[in-house]
Amino acid sequence: MRRAAPSLQVRLLGLMFGVLAALWAATLALTLSDTRHELDELLDAHLAQSAALLLVRDADADDDIETPAAPILHRYAPRVAFQVWRDGRLVLRSANAPGQPFGPTAARDGFSTYGEEETRWRVFGAYDVAHRRQVYVGERLGARTEILSAVLRGVSWPLALALPVLGLATWWTVRRGLAPLRALGQALAVRSPDALAPVPLDGMFAEMLPLAASLNDLLRRIAHLLESERRFTADAAHELRTPVAAIRVQAQVARAATDDAARAHALDGLLAGCDRAARLIDQLLTLARLEAAQAPDMADVDLAGLVRDVMAQLAPAALAKGQEIELDAPPACAVRGNALLLAVLVRNLVDNAVRYAPSGAAILVRLRRERNEVVLDVEDGGPGLEEAELARLGERFYRVPGSAAAGSGLGWSIVRRIAAAHGARVAVRRGARLGGLAVAVAFTAAGPG
Amino acid sequence: MHILLAEDDPLLGDGLRAGLRQLGFQVDWVQSGDAAERELRAQTYVAAVLDLGLPRRDGMDVLAAVRAAGVATPVLVLTARDAVPDRIRGLDAGADDYVVKPVDLHELAARLRALVRRAHGQPRDRLAAGDVELDPAGRTVRKAGAQVALSTREFDLLHALMLNANRVMTREQLEQHLYSWGQEVESNAVEVHVHNLRRKLGSALIQTVRGVGYVLPDPGRA
Repeated sequence: MRRAAPSLQVRLLGLMFGVLAALWAATLALTLSDTRHELDELLDAHLAQSAALLLVRDADADDDIETPAAPILHRYAPRVAFQVWRDGRLVLRSANAPGQPFGPTAARDGFSTYGEEETRWRVFGAYDVAHRRQVYVGERLGARTEILSAVLRGVSWPLALALPVLGLATWWTVRRGLAPLRALGQALAVRSPDALAPVPLDGMFAEMLPLAASLNDLLRRIAHLLESERRFTADAAHELRTPVAAIRVQAQVARAATDDAARAHALDGLLAGCDRAARLIDQLLTLARLEAAQAPDMADVDLAGLVRDVMAQLAPAALAKGQEIELDAPPACAVRGNALLLAVLVRNLVDNAVRYAPSGAAILVRLRRERNEVVLDVEDGGPGLEEAELARLGERFYRVPGSAAAGSGLGWSIVRRIAAAHGARVAVRRGARLGGLAVAVAFTAAGPG
Repeated sequence: MHILLAEDDPLLGDGLRAGLRQLGFQVDWVQSGDAAERELRAQTYVAAVLDLGLPRRDGMDVLAAVRAAGVATPVLVLTARDAVPDRIRGLDAGADDYVVKPVDLHELAARLRALVRRAHGQPRDRLAAGDVELDPAGRTVRKAGAQVALSTREFDLLHALMLNANRVMTREQLEQHLYSWGQEVESNAVEVHVHNLRRKLGSALIQTVRGVGYVLPDPGRA
């Protein structure tokens, strides 16, 4: 079974939430560190200020008071403590302050910490040189953490509350943003399978445009393929039925003929029709085999010898038409290919020239080496082809209009197919030397340059 | 009956021309769409056989063009394209009949006769005027039930006049019915044939409209 396709919407949502969460975490961390810093500064300033106040106030106090403990007046007070020392004697302390010195006894100003883990104090010590008094003001470090966590709570709550709202809003946005994509999908889904009209690109979003354009391109190619298949069927019907129709009609004429000349004429037509049908069947079978064939077996083939053999077979037909047929080739010329297929290709080309060139015309076949290519030229002194006809050549069953010789146009399809199987290029143009049709097939040369 | 054959295949065209001639048609054969359109526009044929896969101009184009130009000649499309959409398109483009290759010569001839008959408003295959009856398929003529021997041209002339009963036919029109391309038209041939027909079938059958032509009056078809 196919795994459920990953959803673009889920992916978008996931990415957005991921980024959002990371941003929020970073903001929170920054806020915390900033707040801690500000809080430290503020509270340290408070400690220093309190110490200064104690020094000023204590300067005038009665020295004889025996270390009384100041009362606790506020619920926050237990977190703050102070001591006043004079000449190494504790003269005043808050109720929660310890009995021994709160900070370093060196007679100078400064911050320090006092106590163990749970009950750590932050202490500011101040020294009054004139009255030789030392004042310590301490604050529980835990108090600072409590303030910080209160601040954190205050910031986090709204964020946590906003999360579902934001999630919903994001989901809606993403869904709405992706609506055109879904709409395209649905529009394609409800199409009938043979509807090959292009997807309208008007109003299409830029991100979807390449997709839709490629889709249209594909649709166009499929339509073209279907059209050429349809035309192939129609043309095949025409090409196959016409000889049969001709044979049938000629047979009927022969049977009903009242004089020998008419009967002989009809019987000749009958035979010609049979030959044509046979040739057509041969070509169709060749083409079908070519289309069904996997990659043919390739070997080094002496194209010069092969062309010579094929031309030897076809020369009688050319001579019967009074045509001059000539081969200009080096003694040997190797190409990589399949000898059977290459023979079919050469036979089609030369046979084509013999058929379509008029009586008395010249046919010139040349084989030459050009750099790392072996080029086979087949040129005839026939009427040649117009530009538009050249362009259509090679479409199966495309027969040049008005051509008197019987042919189906299948030969061209066969030539092109075999050339393609050999990676060879086929070029058709008007011949420079004889003025007729010139076909050049360029193969890659085999063996060392 | 003088018909136009438009077929680009040399072998089939040759066979059709020979076969239809054997069956008593005068056949002119063209091998391209251009020529087919030109000949159809001339409107000298009683019917035409048109192949659709013609070079230079597709048969369907030719058909549409001549129909648009008001040519009413019955056209039988003879083609290898047997798909239903093709048949529909062919008939809609103005074909009177659509026949897929290969076709039997006799069937083709019968269809052509039927086309011609319908084009002339004849409900029946056999034509009749007075006591003269003409069978186009059998190419026989009877007068009061007795078969009368007619030459090919005499038969064709009578056929043309009977198809166009009550209509005055000029000598040129009648000549077009009698001769295909390459056949020498003897001067006053029509007069000679009319004379012979009157001799064999009775002088009242064909009337002369002086200076215009001939007419075969048929009181049964007003």
